[in-house]
Amino acid sequence: MANIRPFCMPKWGIEMTEGTIAEWMVNEGDAFTKGQVLCLIETAKITNEVEAEYDAVLKRLLTPASDEAHPVGALLGVFADADTTDAEVDEFIAGFKPAETSVAAKGGGGSAPAPAPAAAPAAAAPARTPTKIVTNRAISPEALKLAEAEGVDIEPIAGSGRNGRITYQDVVQALRPERAQSFKGSAQLVEDTAQAFASPLARRIAAQHGIALGAIKGTGARGRISKADVLALVKPTTAATPVFGAPFELVANQPTVQPFDKVRKVVAKRLTEAKQTIPHFYLRVSAAVDDLMALRKTANLVLGTKASINDYIVKAVALTLVKHPDVNVQVHGDSVHSFPHADVAIAVASPKGLVTPIVRQADRMHIAQIAATTRALIDKAQAGKLGYEDMDGGTFSVSNLGMFGIENFDAIINPPQGAILAVGGVNRVAVEAEGGDIAFESRIQLTMSVDHRAIDGALGAQFLQTLKGLLEAPEGLFA
Amino acid sequence: MAKMMYRDAVVSTIAEEMARDENVVCLGEDIVGGMGTPGGPEAIGGIWSTSTGLFGKFGADRMIDTPISESAIMGAAAGLALSGKRPIAELMFADFIGVSLDQIWNQLAKFRYMFGGKTKCPAVIRMAYGAGYNAAAQHSQAVHQILTGMPGLKVVMPTTPADVKGLLRTAIRDDDPVIFLEHKALYGVSGEVPDDPDYMIPFGHARLSRAGQDVTIVSTGLLLGFCEAVADKLAAEGIGCDVIDLRTTSPLDEEAILDSVEVTGRLIVVDEAPPRCSLGADICALVAEKAFASLKAPPLSVNPPHTPIPFARELESAYLPSVDKIEAAVRKVLSYR
Repeated sequence: MANIRPFCMPKWGIEMTEGTIAEWMVNEGDAFTKGQVLCLIETAKITNEVEAEYDAVLKRLLTPASDEAHPVGALLGVFADADTTDAEVDEFIAGFKPAETSVAAKGGGGSAPAPAPAAAPAAAAPARTPTKIVTNRAISPEALKLAEAEGVDIEPIAGSGRNGRITYQDVVQALRPERAQSFKGSAQLVEDTAQAFASPLARRIAAQHGIALGAIKGTGARGRISKADVLALVKPTTAATPVFGAPFELVANQPTVQPFDKVRKVVAKRLTEAKQTIPHFYLRVSAAVDDLMALRKTANLVLGTKASINDYIVKAVALTLVKHPDVNVQVHGDSVHSFPHADVAIAVASPKGLVTPIVRQADRMHIAQIAATTRALIDKAQAGKLGYEDMDGGTFSVSNLGMFGIENFDAIINPPQGAILAVGGVNRVAVEAEGGDIAFESRIQLTMSVDHRAIDGALGAQFLQTLKGLLEAPEGLFA
Repeated sequence: MAKMMYRDAVVSTIAEEMARDENVVCLGEDIVGGMGTPGGPEAIGGIWSTSTGLFGKFGADRMIDTPISESAIMGAAAGLALSGKRPIAELMFADFIGVSLDQIWNQLAKFRYMFGGKTKCPAVIRMAYGAGYNAAAQHSQAVHQILTGMPGLKVVMPTTPADVKGLLRTAIRDDDPVIFLEHKALYGVSGEVPDDPDYMIPFGHARLSRAGQDVTIVSTGLLLGFCEAVADKLAAEGIGCDVIDLRTTSPLDEEAILDSVEVTGRLIVVDEAPPRCSLGADICALVAEKAFASLKAPPLSVNPPHTPIPFARELESAYLPSVDKIEAAVRKVLSYR
């Protein structure tokens, strides 16, 4: 039978119970390929793209994009091979049972799920029964173990090992069904007639874009023109050269209208809600960080890590949060949840906009672990690969704009968290030294935005006092 | 463009380079082709006809017939190269590197390095290699895997007359020792050759002879033609093969191989030498190391078996990779589940 598979509302986090389809990127009847974005699903916390896990056709689209929420596990659409008939799809929908029993299937003419599914959705593999294999064939121990566990008849297998010995890979191959192969076929052969010294791929790309190889200076090995050299020429920039002394003239200044994408819409909605509904107040303090910077250099060398100043601040914040559990909180409606460990969110500018992945239980990590975790989260954010689980929850946020030379700023709280710390850059400032002299020291300015519903001024101030103490006597970070 | 045979491309390139640069000299066994016979010089011709007419043009000072001593040929070539000449030494059969290996491996290949770059060694060592001539185990071998593994040597294996022209010229003008491997079975193959007197092909620059997107086939020499036949057959079935002619095995055009495998996800290497520690094994390992993420099937090397080359005609053809064997290997890789 044709390969029919259900597409259901995914479950991205332990708290996710339902989601809405914000937008379909493929239409009913469209073929899609593995990795293609199928639709955008919005939950209470996040909007995420759903990528195809295999090549197929969207045979039936059961839930058009709308504000209506669908429970986790609800049937949203049906994927199948192109040659599947409508009758087979109808039969499949009628027989579909969602994985979670509490969730009802939608669509299929609105009728209740038929009690006896006529066709099993997953290709029902023949039941394999473990058997003891007695054989004279040469076979590797792992291969024999696998063949016995899966009840594979090894006699027809032509072993690929020396003298026909059966390898683990041979048994795995015997277990897998024959794959329907699709081939891409031949490509245009670009003759190597020009004496340009270019790799075959570079030559192919150049031919595709009508670029003459003769004019290119290669930067590859031994001066060869590489793929990168050709690609650099594919999009030539056309910047007009300003003429000195020309009279100033107004030119057209039409805006480029860029509607919010779905991700941006969610960010905008959340931030507006947070700023409008949370009674923010702000506490400012600055800390001397000469010792911290000196210690960082030594500690990074000793630990073999590349922890940034921000990683040290995250560590200090996490330790401070544990000492002040009343600040280590989430606000949910009329109740405050305080946590024994600090899940510190870090604000990261990603190509998709501001994201706040979380360093979980940062108080229990040593500095090298924090550095590795933040590095991984930032890389994931830059690649647009952050998932729901990376951003769900958190008890406190740290937002750092110091690298841009910002001295201090006020941040908006990231609900349900109770507070956010805005970190400025390190500045050399003149201070009064002993004996009335002037000395310079490195200072960093911190601004904490606090949700007054859960945290009072004195609590917040005590928190900052502890944090300042830790940053100024950073040996405490290793206590 | 002129149509000429592989062997004529060898002769004409040597002639052009000898005329261009008087430091270019040839030495080898019977390269004058008849010296000491009743008919006199050139009466008979060298056994591969790869020096025809050169003695008449350039004389005995620049076309040096040597005794049957391969170590003397290589030693003399090394000395000539050190003293400012550009020798082209010929080994009648590549199998004979054994007796001259110290001169090649420990002397020629290492001078420049051991003298701290203060000297250069612009020698070309031409040799006829390969099976298919019913010449038995000591006169049929493909020796590139031994020489490719030696730092200090450049190893060239041309497939077409045009490549002979472009690569041999590059070899002669190169300031380092170059091993130039000519396949015996290709000497009689004809092809178009550019007329440009400075036509040169840089080393480490592979040639794509068929373009496809489903499997990469890497080879060079006689077997490349077999790979092209397989690619043409599969193209009719809608299966595209990238056929890469390496041209030189050292330096290796790693970029061309990896770029192709990143598109196709499948690799076959077809190599005339036995499988252990072979060029095939080397390229499979390269791809496994650097293109693992692109692979859709295990890389596969097609080699003769790990035995000396048999003498009997039937056994020799059973020994060599054939069109059928290459096609079977491609289909095996394509059907990996």
